Amino acid sequence: MYFVLAALRAEPLHGHAISKAVKELSGGRVQPSVGTLYGILERLNERGVIQVDREEVVNGRNRRYFRITDDGRALVEAEARRMQAAAALVLRPAAS
Amino acid sequence: MTTTGPSRPAASPARTPSALERRYRRLLLAYPRPYRAAHGDELLDVLLESADPGRTVPALKEAWGLLVGGVRSRVIHQARGSAWADGLHLAVTAVAAANLAALLPYAGTLPLWTPLSALALLAILRGRVLAAFPLTLLTGVKAVAIAGGWQPLDLTLLPVHPTFLSDLPLYGDSSPPAVAAGYAVVLTGLLVLASRRQPVPTRSWWWCAVVPAAAWAGPDWMAESTALPLSLSRMAVETAAFGLAAAACYLARDHRWALASGVYLLVASGRFIEFADHLTRQHLAYWGVLLVLTLGAAFAPFRQRRHCLD
Repeated sequence: MYFVLAALRAEPLHGHAISKAVKELSGGRVQPSVGTLYGILERLNERGVIQVDREEVVNGRNRRYFRITDDGRALVEAEARRMQAAAALVLRPAAS
Repeated sequence: MTTTGPSRPAASPARTPSALERRYRRLLLAYPRPYRAAHGDELLDVLLESADPGRTVPALKEAWGLLVGGVRSRVIHQARGSAWADGLHLAVTAVAAANLAALLPYAGTLPLWTPLSALALLAILRGRVLAAFPLTLLTGVKAVAIAGGWQPLDLTLLPVHPTFLSDLPLYGDSSPPAVAAGYAVVLTGLLVLASRRQPVPTRSWWWCAVVPAAAWAGPDWMAESTALPLSLSRMAVETAAFGLAAAACYLARDHRWALASGVYLLVASGRFIEFADHLTRQHLAYWGVLLVLTLGAAFAPFRQRRHCLD
């Protein structure tokens, strides 16, 4: 979920673009299947963390573009700060 | 061609879907119909775009993701409306299916009462609680009468011998109170649901497939002298149903399936209490499994979120 929200911070994206952005942002470590990715998107949408920005029809198939909401932005930034603080416990120079 | 706006997909020219598309469409059947209708093509689009060129068989990861995602979506889709009313209807359905399963092997000797019981289950499955009530009441009176050796409605030669699926006489190992408990739970549940004066949802036709499996007394695995022989096929059906209920409670963080499991377990426990002095370790182990699954279902919705985005 973290990488999905991180991917959506820049601009609204559709499913395939989110999938590629997640892979890129995580350095290839996170590659959710399409079923998993859409499960995450539906849950984030239900909680109001993301919402559908617009719909397009490409090659006869509907394509939803998702965008992050203000709540979602605050949530992912809080999570980033939490992880930064946790990482600092280990990575800061040891007091001599 | 690209169009913008929240519009319906444009009709595409007729074309032959590739083998990969056909296989992904079959996997998408795991999702509930409304979700498939709204977003099936969207998922298919992403799946085909993500696929390696020349691939004709879905990647294992994608296939598993669709199956798990579909089941999860079905569970979430079910967890709507009043949890207690839906859980009660589910419990009534399960106990009514068990009541019919008890009569099914005797359909040849009870040609009126077994179809009546099947009609009662059918009415419950279709959400027709008012129609189900008299059918359940009539069948219940006859069932309790057979268990007690009474003849209030019509003459029936006792004991009632099975025609298939079993080799024990009807209610040979049940007392009238234990039989009455199953019907009383269904009747009470139907009354409560009818008093709400709100539409009752329909249930899956898969419940009809559960009945013969629960009715079958085989395969033999317990000693012939056992007072309360447990049917292996029925145990498999009940364990699977209780396991699914626990998984659904976990996924949806909702109690409706736990309520149904709890009510069914109470009814099923009646027979174990009746034979308390004759229970073997197998009986206690099986009852323990059902109890653990029910408790698991009851506590699963309280599971902690691992982090704020979970």
